[in-house]
Amino acid sequence: MMDIINYLFETFSSNMMDIPLIAPIVDYLMKIPVINVLVALILWKPFFAVIIMPGLGVLVLYLLYVVWYERKLTARIQWRVGPLEVARPIRGAIQALADGIRYFFQEAIVHREAHRPYYVQLPILAFIPVLLPIMFIPAGSAVGIYTPYSIQLIVTFIALIPITIVAIGWAANSRFAYIGSVREAFMYFAYEVPFIIAVISMIFLYGSGDAYVAVEKQSAIPGALLNPIAFIVYIIAMLMATSRLPFEIPEADQEIAFGPFVEYSGILFGLVMVLAYEKLYIMTLLFTILFLGGWSGLYCPLLGDLNGPLWMFIKTIVVISILVIVRSIYARYRLDQALRIGWTSMLALSIAALVVGGALGVWLS
Amino acid sequence: MDEFIEFVRGGPLGPIKKWGTKWSLWPVHLVTACCGAELAHAFAAGYDGERIGALNYGIARQTNLIIVEGAITRKMARVLRITWEQMPDPKFVIVMGACGLQGGIFWNGYHLVKPSDVVPVDFFIPGCPPTPEALLRGIRQLQFKIETGEAKTSATFPEISLEAGRKPRVLPRPPKKISKAPAVIVNAPKEVDWEFGQKLVEELKAKIEAKSVTITGKNRIAVKVESDSITKTAIRLKEMGFDHIKNVNVIDVPNEDKFIVEYHFSSYSVKELMPVIVNVFADIPRDNPKVKSLANMFPSADYMEREMYDFFGVIFEGNPWMGRKFLLAPDAPEFPLRKDFKLEEEVYVR
Ligand code: SF4
Repeated sequence: MMDIINYLFETFSSNMMDIPLIAPIVDYLMKIPVINVLVALILWKPFFAVIIMPGLGVLVLYLLYVVWYERKLTARIQWRVGPLEVARPIRGAIQALADGIRYFFQEAIVHREAHRPYYVQLPILAFIPVLLPIMFIPAGSAVGIYTPYSIQLIVTFIALIPITIVAIGWAANSRFAYIGSVREAFMYFAYEVPFIIAVISMIFLYGSGDAYVAVEKQSAIPGALLNPIAFIVYIIAMLMATSRLPFEIPEADQEIAFGPFVEYSGILFGLVMVLAYEKLYIMTLLFTILFLGGWSGLYCPLLGDLNGPLWMFIKTIVVISILVIVRSIYARYRLDQALRIGWTSMLALSIAALVVGGALGVWLS
Repeated sequence: MDEFIEFVRGGPLGPIKKWGTKWSLWPVHLVTACCGAELAHAFAAGYDGERIGALNYGIARQTNLIIVEGAITRKMARVLRITWEQMPDPKFVIVMGACGLQGGIFWNGYHLVKPSDVVPVDFFIPGCPPTPEALLRGIRQLQFKIETGEAKTSATFPEISLEAGRKPRVLPRPPKKISKAPAVIVNAPKEVDWEFGQKLVEELKAKIEAKSVTITGKNRIAVKVESDSITKTAIRLKEMGFDHIKNVNVIDVPNEDKFIVEYHFSSYSVKELMPVIVNVFADIPRDNPKVKSLANMFPSADYMEREMYDFFGVIFEGNPWMGRKFLLAPDAPEFPLRKDFKLEEEVYVR
């Protein structure tokens, strides 16, 4: 027993986050038995990256933030106040928490026509492709699983997400859900090809699918300036993929009442509602790595290893906040318009990006 | 319903459930009547109901509050009940508007249902329509109900002794004479300076075997015919250029034991006839109200004939829809606009 604990402790403590700011506390805690294993586990780099930052812990905070921020911003743009009274001193920032709690304790209805097992399973299954990429996204020296193909892997998982959404619509077996999943499938065709080509052009440019290489190559000029065409294509594809407003076609609450998710209620709806936000988070992390220099930023010696994840997080949040503005000021495209954009201008742009990326990649190497 | 309040407040997790539900009362989009405009106002820029955590949202499955906006008709009652049943527990209902309380301006109407008969109601908001402040206060009051577990009215009235009131008003004097059998005159003649009208009357008199042809105003002509010659008259009018029926109307005159059926003809194709409306009317007996339908000749008459059947029970022979309800709910009482229609008595329960 002791051997195992000792072995674990050795493994964890050999690869720990080094944060000078909290070093005295950590040193003190490391002297106490049992607790030191826990502390070592939390600060163990793979664990830290996956569970805390930029992984699940920060993801939950981000969800609370983005739902509140979105509602607040939309309200300000419409000359309203937005959520406020729930917590006046912090401008109602925990509104999403109240909504989440309410959903959690509401009845979750499974209607008669639903394909029952799939209907209940799919919201949970859908989390696998959404959360798995976090394992492979590095932030500074903290990384869950290091692989030289991390960018390709992340794109693969992102491409799997719409399949679960279409399956959700099929399992719900109602007409709005059906229309919604057909639209989701159409949108998938619209953005996926330009999106993948844009990412491939960046991989050409950096000469590798390794996030570390990508960030290192951007140390002088960020990828957004190296290949601005891919940058634009990626942003539009991101809006389409996460069904943000100019392309909020599958969910369109005014016409088909949240499409694939129309029949879900209670905690199940809470789960499917955050899917798009989580997808946005993952895609923005990838966006940061590819175009904004990833975790590189001003180095603060006090924070030590925490610098990487922190910069990554800040960049991600800034990008998402800008994307949210797009949502509240644009009207929705029709499905055929979105498809046309995807297959004409975006495809052309992405191929141009591919040429630029290839040429620059040859020149840089 | 109180069991929902109990559920929200009960159990070891009570405080959390209570807090979450209190700040997240999402009304579903269910606009039933004109109070809906006021609901929109309450959630728009000026008052912003989202401040207190209420967000109008999607469909019943994802919300927990129904705001019944005013009048609930027999048809809409079904919708209200379905919406309520689709909504996951715990759920709450607020009824706004005088119509939802006692019928309001539709008081004792044949088509109205009280929302409290259909779904359990937590709060009523009086007013026609209630102001946005009142609506937000209703939501606020529901929050307090969830918080404290007891429903309280938010309105307090000062007590005033009877003597302090104003003196009883002097009622206006009644009119001098009320006729026992008020006549309904459709073709009251009127002197107007309308030359083309005179010509038209001559032409009509020549072509139609009418009982009388009268000018009742500028551009208005009333033609009285026998009930079985309406079809013949319509054919003549069509030849003259009157190509559509603007309106089909029935007047119930119980004291003369008759219905008056009116067809208003007009024209879209002949320029001079465009402003002219010719009212062809006939009396039919009240115990056997039958008249030939014009729906084949003038398709625009079809729906209006069905509607008249709904309301008066006049049978338009040849119209295939007779005998079925068209606009009214299937369970609405028969022929509600007949003068001898008996309204359901109001029942007061102490
Ligand atoms: S209470 Fe007044 S405003 Fe509201 S539905 Fe009735 S008539 Fe309309």
